[in-house]
Amino acid sequence: MKKTMTLNLTDAEMRVLDDLSTRKDLSKTAVLRQALRLYQAVEVRVEKGDKLVFENENTREKAELMLL
Amino acid sequence: MRFERSKEWWVKRAIAEGNATIGAGLLARDPASESEIDDQAAPREESRIAFGRFINLMRRRHGMSIEKLADAAKVDASELLVIEEDVHYVPGPRTVYQLARMFDVPQARLMQLAGLTAANDAGLVEEAVRFAARSEAVHKLSPEESAALSAFVAVLGQGEPKRSL
Amino acid sequence: MIDSSTIFLVAGDTLEPVEAELRDGIEEQQLVDWQTQWQPALTEILRELARHGVPMADWPQSWHWDWRQKRAGVAGLLAFPGFSIMADDVTQGLAQVDLTRSARSAEHQGKPLAYVDYLEVAPWNRSDRGNVPRFKGVGTALLTAIAALSVDEGFKGRLGLHSLPQADDFYRRTGLIDLGPDAAYQGLRYFEMTEDRARAFLEEE
Repeated sequence: MKKTMTLNLTDAEMRVLDDLSTRKDLSKTAVLRQALRLYQAVEVRVEKGDKLVFENENTREKAELMLL
Repeated sequence: MRFERSKEWWVKRAIAEGNATIGAGLLARDPASESEIDDQAAPREESRIAFGRFINLMRRRHGMSIEKLADAAKVDASELLVIEEDVHYVPGPRTVYQLARMFDVPQARLMQLAGLTAANDAGLVEEAVRFAARSEAVHKLSPEESAALSAFVAVLGQGEPKRSL
Repeated sequence: MIDSSTIFLVAGDTLEPVEAELRDGIEEQQLVDWQTQWQPALTEILRELARHGVPMADWPQSWHWDWRQKRAGVAGLLAFPGFSIMADDVTQGLAQVDLTRSARSAEHQGKPLAYVDYLEVAPWNRSDRGNVPRFKGVGTALLTAIAALSVDEGFKGRLGLHSLPQADDFYRRTGLIDLGPDAAYQGLRYFEMTEDRARAFLEEE
């Protein structure tokens, strides 16, 4: 059973949501649900002591994303 | 998620499966990956005698009954019994893996010894035969057996086997 | 709360319909079945193969999967739903999905899909090596559930998986696109189901 909630977003946030929805071929709801899944997955890893790192394939440069 | 499909719908699809065995997914946690396993597994009697003897002696050195070892290594007690008594028996890879972990010996070497991978290391086979000849499955570990076992454990630990890819 | 649907498999020998249950989850009972029933049956198959000198490269690819550990690693995570099929009160098949992946095929590249992290049928349901499976349709039912999940999540049925060699033909037959062997996945072939194909796959009568 799914529950409904109202979301208050700024224009900028709404634009990002629209953009992601287009690029990922997802409804706005699906984007937010995906975001929630990813956020949770990352959070659980970070809590276990893992780091979230982005690596540039060409330069091999790494950037750590700081979460909380 | 609820599916509302008729019996015929499912049956048609089940039959269409034919003789396929469906599966998917990376072998994420692979205790014996293909790289460690030779395609032509040619079990050698000599090394398998040594394998059974080895497990028997290691178990007794640890003062364990078959049941206790089965429990500790999480393997089937009946399989352990067959391993120790039947030289023709080829154990399951998982069992060998668990026993290697239990006795802290290299898994790939034990796989060779068990006949699961081709023993392309002539030295190991020779050592295995010598070891099997020197030890006898009696109730208590004699000093000679104990020495033979120690020497063989050392041989097993000598580096990783050459792999034929 | 776990959802469950009534589905049908067929008996491997008579092809008679058998009622089964598709569950949206993997719970303790399935893990216990895996340990107490799948594992011994799998050991038996492997022992048989070894006795007949079958090269290990031909052995079933999934003998070492440890479901308890897999599920413990993703417990409570929204991104990794599981499915199970029950019949005769025993687990007949298990699957785990990863919803964080994106499509690779040119048609859908970069769009999220339901990636089949693991899919396995019970050892007695395999039909490799001339064995007559107890039930047919378990793998198909799991795949159906995952395609439907993909639709449900707004992924339009997009689905990806790394096939086990003995299943390659089935996936091709089912219309998945073969994107070739993946070196990062021990050479397993990567397949994708497109939106169109998923629609046809899930089509009601």
